[in-house]
Amino acid sequence: MTEDHERIDELLAGYVLLSLSGEDAAEADRILAEHVPSCGRCRATLNELQAVSGDLALAAAPVDPPETLLPRIHRAIDEVPLAGRTPRRGALVAVAASAVALVALGGLSLVLGNRLSDAQTRAGTALEILSAMRSPGAQPVNVIPQDETPPESGMVEVSAPDVRRLYIAAEYCPEPAPGRAYQLWLGNDDGWEPVGEMFWPEDGVVLLELEVDVARYDEIWITEEAAGPPPSEPNTDGPSWFGSL
Amino acid sequence: MGEDDRHDLELHRLVSARERSAFDELYRRYARSAYGVALRVTSQDLIAREVVQDAFLALWRAPEAFDPTRGAFRSFFLSLVHHRAVDAVRREERLRRRTERAANLEPATGEDPAEDVVEDAYLRVRRKEVRAALTTLPPAQQQVLEMAYLDGKTQARIAEELGIPIGTVKTRTLAAMRKLREALREE
Repeated sequence: MTEDHERIDELLAGYVLLSLSGEDAAEADRILAEHVPSCGRCRATLNELQAVSGDLALAAAPVDPPETLLPRIHRAIDEVPLAGRTPRRGALVAVAASAVALVALGGLSLVLGNRLSDAQTRAGTALEILSAMRSPGAQPVNVIPQDETPPESGMVEVSAPDVRRLYIAAEYCPEPAPGRAYQLWLGNDDGWEPVGEMFWPEDGVVLLELEVDVARYDEIWITEEAAGPPPSEPNTDGPSWFGSL
Repeated sequence: MGEDDRHDLELHRLVSARERSAFDELYRRYARSAYGVALRVTSQDLIAREVVQDAFLALWRAPEAFDPTRGAFRSFFLSLVHHRAVDAVRREERLRRRTERAANLEPATGEDPAEDVVEDAYLRVRRKEVRAALTTLPPAQQQVLEMAYLDGKTQARIAEELGIPIGTVKTRTLAAMRKLREALREE
């Protein structure tokens, strides 16, 4: 499978340089989720390429930062102590802390069955969401019900740029019609891409984790689709949720 | 793993234990490199400051994001800074298509206008190794690497700007990264 690994190496090189887009980026996300975790060669290659990528920062000239920067960082640390921080989104925390249901997508799809029955892992994912929210780069986004979609079913998206993950949480998501399921789409100038597998809420709760580089996208859309492989275009009828990243 | 990498690991362990002095020591070690690459990628002082601040805050708030089994702390942290810098550039680019970048940025290789910046000896040595490795690359490979890494451009855009097939960009990128990997491999 030398040819496949050559192609994978190309994607991994582009991935660590953050230079992939469009289909290449989607393919890299799939490989990182489905192939790399189980391939020692690719894991080693990824680690080595990431080490090179880190060292490439040294190609830029070092520059003394302003003297005010460290005191500013100290103030920011002191303003938001680690213990007793007030989360920015109460609803999401409620969902995360309850951790009553999890639908795992993307990088977790290989262990989907296990995760659905593994309360400990569900709690772990909830903690990952809380951890993501702690990140200074976290961007909670309201994913708003559209048209006739029940207004109380709003969802929240949280991105964690450091780990290239995206989380979706909702408490009052309606059941899709029989034979149908929800599909998450991410959009940019190139159009819409289905991300992860289709999902269903459990007792109204949705808790999703996807391995994806959110920085490449501008918008998020969740639509109701016929259950099965994702269609090429989002369905514009039926319930849907939309947010700007 | 070298002595300096081990020292970084110890500092990281102390940061995980909420030791502020260890955090300050990591700042002292890496702030110049972090600010340098952030400034080079974003070409805007205010954004570069935000990038560096966010990266150090992320380190303080979620030190567990660094996995010592996957490489050196140096690579992890500088990758984090680079990632945030590229994100910042692309966010801004989406909001308003940027006009031409300032043409007076320092080159990635060659004479260093900031050699008088004081930094740890091991970083200075590593910096020289990285630059020396870059100079061994064919110019075409250097070019795509610099456009991707330091300019934050996608391979599609690089292909468009250079007027070459994207497959060529991919091939050159991988060849360059492989050569650098061999040249920079640490014991």
